[in-house]
Amino acid sequence: MQRFIEFVVRFKNYITLCTLVVLSFALMSAGDLSQLGGFRAVIVGSIGWMQSIFAWVPNPVALKSENVALRELNLQLSVEAARGRQAMVENVTLRKMLELRKVVDKKLLAADVIGKTTTQLRNFATINKGKSDGVKDGMTVITDAGLVGIVTGVSDHYAVIQLLLNRDTKIAAKVQRTRVDGILAWEGETTLLLKNVPTSYDVQAGDVIITSNYSTRFPENIVIGRVARVEDERNSLFRRILVEPAVNFPTLEQVFIVDYTPELERLALERMVDDKQRARGANP
Amino acid sequence: MSAMQFPFDRSQYMKSPPLRMIAYAVIAMLLSVVHIVFLRFISVSSVTPDLLLILTVWIAIVEGQFTGMVAGFLCGLLFDIVSAQVPGTNALVKTLAGFIAGYFYRESDAMALIGSARFLLITALAATVDSFTYNFFYVKPMQTSFWMFFVKYGIATTLYTTVAAVFPMLVVNRRKDP
Repeated sequence: MQRFIEFVVRFKNYITLCTLVVLSFALMSAGDLSQLGGFRAVIVGSIGWMQSIFAWVPNPVALKSENVALRELNLQLSVEAARGRQAMVENVTLRKMLELRKVVDKKLLAADVIGKTTTQLRNFATINKGKSDGVKDGMTVITDAGLVGIVTGVSDHYAVIQLLLNRDTKIAAKVQRTRVDGILAWEGETTLLLKNVPTSYDVQAGDVIITSNYSTRFPENIVIGRVARVEDERNSLFRRILVEPAVNFPTLEQVFIVDYTPELERLALERMVDDKQRARGANP
Repeated sequence: MSAMQFPFDRSQYMKSPPLRMIAYAVIAMLLSVVHIVFLRFISVSSVTPDLLLILTVWIAIVEGQFTGMVAGFLCGLLFDIVSAQVPGTNALVKTLAGFIAGYFYRESDAMALIGSARFLLITALAATVDSFTYNFFYVKPMQTSFWMFFVKYGIATTLYTTVAAVFPMLVVNRRKDP
């Protein structure tokens, strides 16, 4: 016994170390502080209370890192907000186009405008659909707002549209309200000109102009624009009617190609009658 | 101000081991609260000095290896409870720190040792053992390289604790001077 006590006294530091290490491991293996029950709640509550008292004291290092984090978050949120706004605008446009699909009885093919060119008062747009998608020369191009133009060139995957704002534009049009017919042309301004309407015909500012059923190139009843101004010129039998296009060409992004090609039988008949009239005129 | 005006005799208090133990306990509680509540203001990349470790080293140098280990164990356990960590983690590492620091116990010139640069070296050694052991248990359940974590946080904590140990060293050093 004496020897044991001497041993303990001699190695008391190592024995204490071993005991405390074992005790520490035992505490660790016992698990978390939840076993201390209410005592833990008191400690956590007290510490939390003390921390809340000094919470107003600014921590420059933490503030700096928080600032950096907030800046990054701000940038990220700005990008997301911009994307959201873009998506919202696209969503509105696409919804309108979806409605258009229901209104127009012909088959529509959606396309994105990927380029615009202007050469000597001839405005064109390039779209990302071509022959492989079923696009053909002469097809009508519209948006939910109205008539855009006509397909004038097609490759396998792309097509070129001749826009309304083109000096070659000549469209048989009519005033929706009074059914007055005329020829729509563009003379280099932001508006179109409705020609061949006599001064006695009823046309007023605000009237909607649509494609005529006389047109051999466009399907009828497609909105072209709205009358902006009506001018009666001296010494002229015709009125000068300026039409504001329904389509906003500078912001044109998505279009629909209408699966419409002129009726060949009708074209052939009209051409034959025309030829006959000319022949009669030549030989009265 | 004369010694008679104090509520207790300071020299008597320094000579009385039970009173010293009570003082250590009160200081340990204050330091643990200071650690939790105030040290965030001087934290650098989440690294803070370990004030309870400095106290453990002090006790081990002044009172000896046995008391140092027990004090380390109790300080660690107190910190585990206050900081809501797994009980036993800090108790273990501070027991080891007390054991290491206890080797430098000199009964006659303890304050001289604390007032010198050797106190910083002892604190650095104890802090290294403390950080190494603590990070070993801390990192083990994580998918992180122990050595990377130790180099990044363990050595930083050791250095910061050693820097903080300069203050008690200077206080004792000034008292030693006539």
